[in-house]
Amino acid sequence: MARSTRVRIAELVLLAALIVAPLVVHDAFTIDRFGRYLLYAVFAISVDLIWGVGGVLTFGHAAFFGAGGYLAAIFMERGGWFLPLPLWPAIALAVACVAMFAVLLSGLAFRGPFPMRGVELAVITLAVAYLLEQYARAGGRLTGGQNGILIGPRLTVFGINVHRGRNFYLLAAATLIVCYVVARWFVSSRAGLVVRGIRDNEPRVDLLGYHVPNMKIAVFVLSATLAALAGALFYVHEGIITPGAVGVAASTQVLLWVALGGRATLIGPIVGTIVLQHLTATLSGRLLDTWILVIGALLIVVVMLFPAGVLGWLDRGPSR
Amino acid sequence: MTATAVRTAVVEARGLSKSFGGFRAVHDVSFELHEHEITGLVGSNGAGKTTLLNLIYGRNSITDGRLLLDGTDVTRQPAFRRVRRGLGMVFQHTTIFPTMGVRENLRLGALRKHPGADPSSPDEIEAMLERVGLAEQGDVEAATLSHGEQQWLEIGMVLLAKPTVVLLDEPTSGMTKAEAARMADLCRTLIEQQAVRSMMVVEHNIDFIRHISNHVLVMHRGTIIAAGTIDEVQHDQAVRDAFLGRQA
Repeated sequence: MARSTRVRIAELVLLAALIVAPLVVHDAFTIDRFGRYLLYAVFAISVDLIWGVGGVLTFGHAAFFGAGGYLAAIFMERGGWFLPLPLWPAIALAVACVAMFAVLLSGLAFRGPFPMRGVELAVITLAVAYLLEQYARAGGRLTGGQNGILIGPRLTVFGINVHRGRNFYLLAAATLIVCYVVARWFVSSRAGLVVRGIRDNEPRVDLLGYHVPNMKIAVFVLSATLAALAGALFYVHEGIITPGAVGVAASTQVLLWVALGGRATLIGPIVGTIVLQHLTATLSGRLLDTWILVIGALLIVVVMLFPAGVLGWLDRGPSR
Repeated sequence: MTATAVRTAVVEARGLSKSFGGFRAVHDVSFELHEHEITGLVGSNGAGKTTLLNLIYGRNSITDGRLLLDGTDVTRQPAFRRVRRGLGMVFQHTTIFPTMGVRENLRLGALRKHPGADPSSPDEIEAMLERVGLAEQGDVEAATLSHGEQQWLEIGMVLLAKPTVVLLDEPTSGMTKAEAARMADLCRTLIEQQAVRSMMVVEHNIDFIRHISNHVLVMHRGTIIAAGTIDEVQHDQAVRDAFLGRQA
């Protein structure tokens, strides 16, 4: 059996174990919490696509995660014209709007008069997240300003309440599995191979005749779309969305999950997210004043020992 | 009645110039690359050879002049469009995909030319692995190859993109004599088998040029000062003046 096949099988077993393990817990609150982690994991996969696979570092990806939540909230909670919308049409429209925004933003960044690369793009994404956060704070009735938007509708599927506990967990797990499969399919596809090539050596991809900007736009839009879907479900479940959802802090936090788990592995960011979130929740309850220092020290040690992330190390060995 | 050989120009450069600020790196260069020919481009360091290659494949914009590929004006076209029209570029410093496997590198070369079928392990890729001497290393990470092997990998990748014209920048740099001889064989075979219609080779190794090339251009201070067979240019007065330091 080829090594890549063995790694893929190991990934699937790990993914299944991660998803099934919390179900043995009967505490509804804990299961609900792990459901939130799974949606965060979808967010991490979206960042892994653009950063790990595409090589485009983004400091503002929460703009898409939070925008998914904000737009879903606005479409459900604000009136006028065709609004308010029911739950799923609102989520679908929110995701579509974020995807359109990603097309415009990436089109400007990659195909505009001054195509951007590396740090330039990282700064632009940072600026977008900052601007959206400021707009959300100052947005008045539309965004609710500092107080954000309270979201009334509850998550339901075919009339079944999936808003809390085990049902919510299953919804989050299903979302994660679908998004993981989509991301894995993309990475394995021809487009994914070209995007990985761009990460490794953009000028050579150009000199093999591929249209580099279009490939970057494709992965950027896919990444933003997954983030928006996760964000919409996450904040509807939360019942409230506030300006921090689209901000810089949330954007950098997800980078840690991905870096810890292992860039360009897809499964690594899932592990990184769940482990870090669970650790944070556990330690913050026990070490009231020092938990953040412990987490910070742990992150530094792990990044020094495993520069490619834990799963990256297992996947490719200790050389990188 | 004598038969007249018709030499078809695949690449035509007409008065190409490139300036960087006030510095003219290439000035009023005109030449043609003909079908079934390997053209050598020689000159001392700083003569403008690499800049000229950059103008042909599109890395640098052309300040003045025109570039035609199979009769089509590609002067203002970006690099990827020129590649789609048949240009292939092999660099002195290899430009492979280091974190991918050798076979994946070749797949990327082949992929654009195979819109219908999945070329993940077609005979073509396996044949290319054999041709460039990497059959045993198909699954290893490209970064682990030696410099010489990486050069062969890049050549394989470029050839799988089915170029009509290949530009090579110092292909024997870092190669042993045996590898250089293998490279010369490959260049000649590609032209003889019409796998590639024309080639241009920038090279300091004059023996290599003598082995593969029937037409040589000599560059000096951004212009072409002589053109002809290697024996002709070696006896050219302008070339002697330039390289013996008698030209102003």
